[in-house]
Amino acid sequence: MMGRILPIASAVVADSLRRKVVYVVLVFAALLAFAIPSLPDYGLGVQSAVFREVALALAYVTALVVTLSLAANRVPAEVERRTVYNVVAKGVSRPEYLLGTWLGVFMVAGGAMAAFTIIEQVVGYITYGEIMWQLWQGAFAVWLEMGVVAALAVAVSAITGPVVVVTASLAALFIGHSRSTLLGGEGALDLSPFYPSLDAFNVVNPVAHGSGVPLVYLVSMVAVFVGMAGLSLIVGSILFSRRDL
Amino acid sequence: MSDARDDTSAAIAIQGARKAYRPIVGAPSRDAVCDVTIRVAPGTIHGLLGPNGAGKTTTLKMLLGLVKPTAGTFRIMGEDSTRPAGRRDVGFMPEQPYFPQHLTAAHALRLYARLSGVPKGEIASRTSALLERVGLAGRDRVTLDTFSRGMLQRLGIAQALINEPQVVILDEPASGLDPVGQRDVRNLMLALRDAGVTVLLSSHQLSEVETVCDDVTIMNAGRVAAEGVLDSLLNIEGRTSVRARVPGDALPPAVASRAESIAVSGGLWVFSVPDESVRFVVDAMDDAGGRVVSVMPMRDSLEDYFARLLAMTAGEVGSR
Repeated sequence: MMGRILPIASAVVADSLRRKVVYVVLVFAALLAFAIPSLPDYGLGVQSAVFREVALALAYVTALVVTLSLAANRVPAEVERRTVYNVVAKGVSRPEYLLGTWLGVFMVAGGAMAAFTIIEQVVGYITYGEIMWQLWQGAFAVWLEMGVVAALAVAVSAITGPVVVVTASLAALFIGHSRSTLLGGEGALDLSPFYPSLDAFNVVNPVAHGSGVPLVYLVSMVAVFVGMAGLSLIVGSILFSRRDL
Repeated sequence: MSDARDDTSAAIAIQGARKAYRPIVGAPSRDAVCDVTIRVAPGTIHGLLGPNGAGKTTTLKMLLGLVKPTAGTFRIMGEDSTRPAGRRDVGFMPEQPYFPQHLTAAHALRLYARLSGVPKGEIASRTSALLERVGLAGRDRVTLDTFSRGMLQRLGIAQALINEPQVVILDEPASGLDPVGQRDVRNLMLALRDAGVTVLLSSHQLSEVETVCDDVTIMNAGRVAAEGVLDSLLNIEGRTSVRARVPGDALPPAVASRAESIAVSGGLWVFSVPDESVRFVVDAMDDAGGRVVSVMPMRDSLEDYFARLLAMTAGEVGSR
């Protein structure tokens, strides 16, 4: 099974490397990272915390652009150009194809996050003279959330085009981070345990202002990631398997 | 019972294939393919013919799991080919093969080799051997966005053969190729058959089909219009074709009275006679000082047969 999934994933990675969007987004984000220390409203003693908070936000936007630009377009383009024929006819199952595509996008997002975090570390060290190891925890959380977003985007892209995929993914992100706004406080009908919340991946406070994210919490994040991404990919596989190519 | 036995012995067995589309919700469904049964014997080249919209490509797509059939069973080498595991010993070249454009020819073949489960140690040697076999030697490092249509077609054939399949399905393989390329594809199909590989060829090029195919299935309007061994489909019952050289400007009167479909070119006469008159005609030619060049069962051209069959089935479809 992995013998068929990994070649598809590596093809996605190779394709993304030739796309200028990944490099452009990374370069643009890096320039902004270098500009963070020049923000005007820095208070004495909190500079590095504000730097980490803004750097994390930049990392999030960078990863989101990279993830959506790849995940939204890959499957629809392969179906439209019929390159998927050669793959499916070789005995690759449709779930394997979707999983390979998702894995490729996830790997690229991971690479982009790693590259950007290294840039953040360099800027942070040059500016404040400290190694901001917490940023790696933040990058890990963002990467996992992008894994969920990529899974959702790939699942939706199994039956529709890129515009709908991007719209649905952004809507899911909004809903995923609006549990308290949409459900309010506790009431007689407390639905919060069933809410598809992405707040588990929000580690801005411990990364920017605290002493890092506890190991147990990181493990629980992985569990949430596996559950949400897995569910999206299962639904996507069912939809894609029913589709005529 | 006999159907089941045939399904297991055939290299490709399609039984009762049907595909219905519903253009919009609530509208009546329309059959693109209806009750199609095709059996391809192992080690043969089987032609799948039909005009545009006949259902050939939809049938192939159902066979390869690209389209979900409404009904029917699909087997390749005895395995259910609608399941991924049933397609792992198959090579498929779609009509107008497309590839990721940023890849080089070698990268593309390596990708498909890995997907097909080709052992790592054999990928490089198979890649270079296949590129040479399809006439793309020396192009392995060229990116596919610079390939011409004919070169992509050749690469499509190479990717279909990368896993050394027992069954190869080719959809319009000569499309976009120049005459030399078309000849190469014909020779390749014949070489595959000689090696025991079964080839299912979907094509519009009747001359190509007539040259290489052992038997054919002709589809029209989503149904099988005719099927069988090419020779028995095209041979005209009860008539024999004679080619002869005769002195003078006319056939001997005894021969002319029995001959039909007479044509002459460069002193060579071609005509048909009833089977029972063959002995008489040969003797008459000898008596007149002529020379019989060949005597063979009279055979329609596939083109004429195809056109006549489509005209007949068009009437049937119209009255259905």
